[in-house]
Order: sequence, then C-alpha cells, then structure tokens
Amino acid sequence: MKTKDITRNNPVMIDIGDMDESPGPYCMSFGFDLKPLIGSIEKFGLINMPFVAKEREGKVDVVAGYRRIMALRSLNWERVPCWDLSDSGLSPLELLLFNLYDNLATRKFNDVEKGMILNRLVFHVPRGEIMERFMPLLKLPSHEPFFDIFLKLEELDHHTRTAFVEKELSFQTIKTLLGIEPDSRSAVLKWISSIKFNSNQQTKFIEYLEDISIKEEKKISDLLGEKQLLSISEDKKLNNPQKSKLILDLLRSRRFPLLACSEKAFQKEVSKFPLPGGVKLYHSPFFENPDYRLEIVFKSGCELKEKIISLSRLDGLEKIGDLWKADL
Amino acid sequence: MNISQIKRVIIEENVENCEPASRILKRLDGLPIKKVPDYRKRQRPWSLNMDKETLRLISYKGEFLKPCPGTKNYICCGYQILHVGTNCPLDCSYCILQAYFNQPSLRVFVNLEHKLDQIGRLIDGSPEKIFRIGTGEFTDSLALDPIVGWSDILLPFFSGRKNAVLELKTKTDRIERLMSSRYRERIIVSWSLNSPYLASREEHGAPTIQKRLKAARKCQKEGFTLSFHFDPLIEHPHWKDGYMRTLEMMDKYIDPKGIIWMSLGCLRFMPALKTIIRMRHPNTHILDGEFVPGLDGKMRYFKPIRVNMYAFMREMMEKWHQDLGLYLCMESPEVWHKSLGRSPENSEGLSRYLDKRVVKFFG
Repeated sequence: MKTKDITRNNPVMIDIGDMDESPGPYCMSFGFDLKPLIGSIEKFGLINMPFVAKEREGKVDVVAGYRRIMALRSLNWERVPCWDLSDSGLSPLELLLFNLYDNLATRKFNDVEKGMILNRLVFHVPRGEIMERFMPLLKLPSHEPFFDIFLKLEELDHHTRTAFVEKELSFQTIKTLLGIEPDSRSAVLKWISSIKFNSNQQTKFIEYLEDISIKEEKKISDLLGEKQLLSISEDKKLNNPQKSKLILDLLRSRRFPLLACSEKAFQKEVSKFPLPGGVKLYHSPFFENPDYRLEIVFKSGCELKEKIISLSRLDGLEKIGDLWKADL
Repeated sequence: MNISQIKRVIIEENVENCEPASRILKRLDGLPIKKVPDYRKRQRPWSLNMDKETLRLISYKGEFLKPCPGTKNYICCGYQILHVGTNCPLDCSYCILQAYFNQPSLRVFVNLEHKLDQIGRLIDGSPEKIFRIGTGEFTDSLALDPIVGWSDILLPFFSGRKNAVLELKTKTDRIERLMSSRYRERIIVSWSLNSPYLASREEHGAPTIQKRLKAARKCQKEGFTLSFHFDPLIEHPHWKDGYMRTLEMMDKYIDPKGIIWMSLGCLRFMPALKTIIRMRHPNTHILDGEFVPGLDGKMRYFKPIRVNMYAFMREMMEKWHQDLGLYLCMESPEVWHKSLGRSPENSEGLSRYLDKRVVKFFG
C-alpha cells in the first residue's frame, strides 16, 4: 500500500500519550510558534490529520504533523485522528522523505531544522549522496565542513539552538562554538548572554579565546575564569557596551601582543607632536602599508592655510619614521 | 611519500588509450582501475578528505603554461607555472592546496605531452624573454615522478631551449628518474626547506630535511643546478636554532656555488584556510603567530615579525655564502629594504634579477 491509498482507509484514533514528545525519526520542526496553530484548532478543529507510523514496541512515531500534535497536546486532547502509515510498505527513508518533501513544498527550514534533516538522513543515505543531493535541496553548499557543522547542531542545548534560530547567536559563532569542548562552550555562552556581545563581537570574542587557548595550551573555561576578565564582567560601574570593548581589547592585546604594543607606541609618539586642532595622523591597518594618513578638518581656505602653516612649523615633523617601532 | 600510498586509479574514458596513461598504468600494475566520463562533467562535493589514495588520470582542458598568479601589492618573481597536475601526496598542515581545490585526489594531466609543441612555440616565439618555469606550484614536482615520469618528458624538452629553465620543486627525495636522465642543462632541482622541528611536525609524509639535502647533494654531484626555498618560514619555539640547524646541514651537504637562487617567504594564507587547517590538523601550532590581513587580503605575520625572520635568515645565509641569489617571495619593497637592505622595488625588478641569475648559470 502506498501513500495515495492511505487516505482511502479510515483514519485511526491514536492516544496522544503513545506519541513521543521529541520529533522522532521523521520530523524536523524546531523553534516554531505554536500559538497561531493552537488558535486555528480552537476555532476550526483539526483540519489536516497527522500521519503516523507505529513502532513494534507500541510507540507511535509522527511522520508528518508534529506541530499539530504539539498544539493538540497543549490543548489537552487525549486522542488524535491520524492517517496510519504502518502498513504502507514505505521504508523508514521513504517516510522521512515523505515528510521532508511535504515540508519543502510549504515552508522554509531554519538552520537547526536543516541540521535535523541531515541527522536523520545519515542513517539511510551515504554522506556523499547527502552532500550532493540533499544539501543543495536545503540550499546549503555541498561542503563537508558545512555538513559536519549542521550535523552537530543537535548537540547544542535547547537554549543555544533557540538563540541561534532567533539570530541572537550568529552562524559564525555557532560554527566556532561547535569546535570547542562542551565545558568551554557553556562558559562562552554564559559570557555572551551576560555581556550581550553583538554578532561581530561574538565572533571576535570566541576567535581570540580559541587562539589564545591553543597558543597557551589553556582551556577556554580556565581563561574565562581569570581575574582580569572577571573583574571587568563584574564591574557594576560599567555598562555592557563598555564591558564588551574592554574585554575584547584585553583579549586582543593578549592575542596580538606585538601589534598592541606597536599601536600604543604609535599613539605615544603622535601625542608628542602638538598637532593643530582638527588635525589627526593615522597609520595604515596593521601598519602593513608604510604610508601614514593626515586628516585636516577645516571650514574655510583661510583655516586650512593656517593649519598647514602651523603644521609646517612643527619641530621634528621631518623626523617621522616608523612611529610604531618606538617601544619595540 | 610511498608509491604504495596509491590504492586505486581513476581514469577518464577519453584518455584511457593514450600512451602516457598506459605507461603510468603499467607502473601501477595490479591496482584497481575505474573508468569515468570527463571529470568536468561531475563536480564532487568539497570534502575534507582529499582522497590522496586515488590517482586520477585526466585530460586537462585549460592552459598548461601560465604566469604564477602572484599577489596584489607585493613584489612577485614573474615565474611561469607549468600545470602538470594538482594535489600532492604529502599533507603539509599549511598547504594552500587545501583551500584551492574542490576536486579531490591526486590529479595527473596525461595530455601534457601533446601540448608540449604548443608550449615550445610559445617559448621560442619570444626569444628575448627568459621563461622561468616550474611545476611545483599545484603539486610536488617529484613526489609522483617515479610513477608519472614527468622528468622523462620535461628534461629533454627544456634542456634543448635557449631561453627557458625548468625548476622542479620538491620536498621529497624521489630523484631516481632525474638520476637516470642524461639531461642537466637548464634544469634546476629545487627543495623546499624548513627547520627540522617544523618539517617533522607539519610536513606530514615528507622526508626529513637531512634526506632532502642528501638527495640535493646527489643531484649536485650529478651536475644539476640547485635552488632552495625557505617557504613558509614559521615562528615556532627556538625557531632561530631550528633554521640554523637546517643551514648547518646545508653547509655540510651542499656547495653554495651551485645554488642559482634561494627564496624566503613567511607563512601567509587566505583567511578561509584557517578553519580548514584547524579541522584537518587540530594539533598544529602554525596559526599561533600574530597574523594580520595583508594588502592582498591574505593573512601574514605582523610586519616586524617578518622583517625579523628575514633579516636573521639573510644574515646567517650570507655568512655561509655571499652570492646565493637571495630573494623574498611576495613581499613589499619596505620589507625588502628593512630585512635584506635592498629591494628590486617592483616585480619587474625582481624578474630582471632572477633572469640575470639564469644567464649567469646557464648562459
């Protein structure tokens, strides 16, 4: 019997208690808002019956309609009319694809759901075929690193996955988090949620921590327990943006000690020149280009001329060289 | 690299009957062979497993000879790449090929021989120009030579040319086919070197520095001109001592007068490579240094670190011999000046310098 024949039979009534609360082997829903569906069922009843398949142990797996089951559960339904695919002759892979294609036709998947799909597919389909056939279907690049990242998403706790789906954590952050051990991961997540780093800051924060941890052979969780960092995070006089900046500056100068030292040396040397107001001297990014840049802010030609004359009279200007090397 | 590392051969249907492919298959007698359609018709998914156990014999449809892409905003040497294959049986943790290719396996272009006439015409058509050509950009020049026999084809081809040299760049000691060749003229056998510490930890599958230098000595004794490349230089604990050890071994095995040039280049990489390196080589420390984005977007050591490393290497190398043809790979005039005390100022200047070395060594 195939699916087209199913709906010719009578639906079966299933005890909701026989169905697992987790999505099971065929469903792929995460991070959804049940309220609209609950509202609809309250108003019009269950319009589309879920599809289920019974396991040998008597448990019932939801094949399609997981959200409806969840909604009915919260509405305290005890029994649900379902289409039963147990004797349909469909293999577990076909049941999975049944739901996948049904969902693909009607909605977009979030990244956690994509990870759920890949995780279910690996039981039935070789990795190479998943990458070649299914990843493009999910609008994911057929890259093994991507594949592995998405497979690991289900390892993350519910709170983290929700934060990811709700864009509080960037993909880059999640990607990096998955590469670190669980202890450190939860420590990092605690900091991110307490300091409220923005997405770029999250990336930098984890990148610095990971690099320092590898270089100094220290666990990230240990680094985050160090006094200097804790004193910033616990300082009640600072707001979160100030804390973010101080924390990132501290980690950056530990990750790039020579660069940080050079930047300080540059500032120190530049401050020795009494530059006219509105005149600033900049170095190139990371000092890679030897050229400096002078910025003059002026309102009129007269003011510009005045500032140029004043600059030309500055003692020692001609000696400007590698300002960044002063303290090295 | 051991030939037994190759476990299977995949051959494109359109080259299965060509002579070079048959020769290679004969040398790999007994290995399973699979015939497949044109490789370009099926893009494989990008994989972390580079499948270095498979040798693919394919027909390359692109240009065989092309200028080294170099890099923007830095001085490049004007080298030409002879594209004989892609990927390499070695597995160096810093290898840029890990990010370049979405095509796995060791790939050998068996239609090279048929394209040589065309390459010859190109070289002969510009007699005023010196073509410095190498095969070691997208693969190791000698690692697969015992199987593929590139040197059998290329040595006679380049030895006969007046305005070209062929540089075979390797990290291996697979010089057997070179040794059995009678051609020496206009051939440069070149080794990529590092400190013994780094070679053992990061250049997976490559022979030790001592083995490389012993192979170089053999080549030198057999009349080949040599070159060496300390690229990538990588900061690591006691790096000065480490690189000194290599230089001391060079002093022991090599006559510096037979070295046409030596290059230095600090580790640089496209930002995307960092993630790949971390995934493929989780225990590596090569990314520990202070890498910042360069003018070409690649990550490089912060400038004073590069200057320091080059200046040290220059000092030590020049203590050994004053005329090594030392140059920097993909560096700025500023770094040249600060570390070597001179600069060719631009890529044309460096090309002229290296061309002069060619004339000095080969006339």
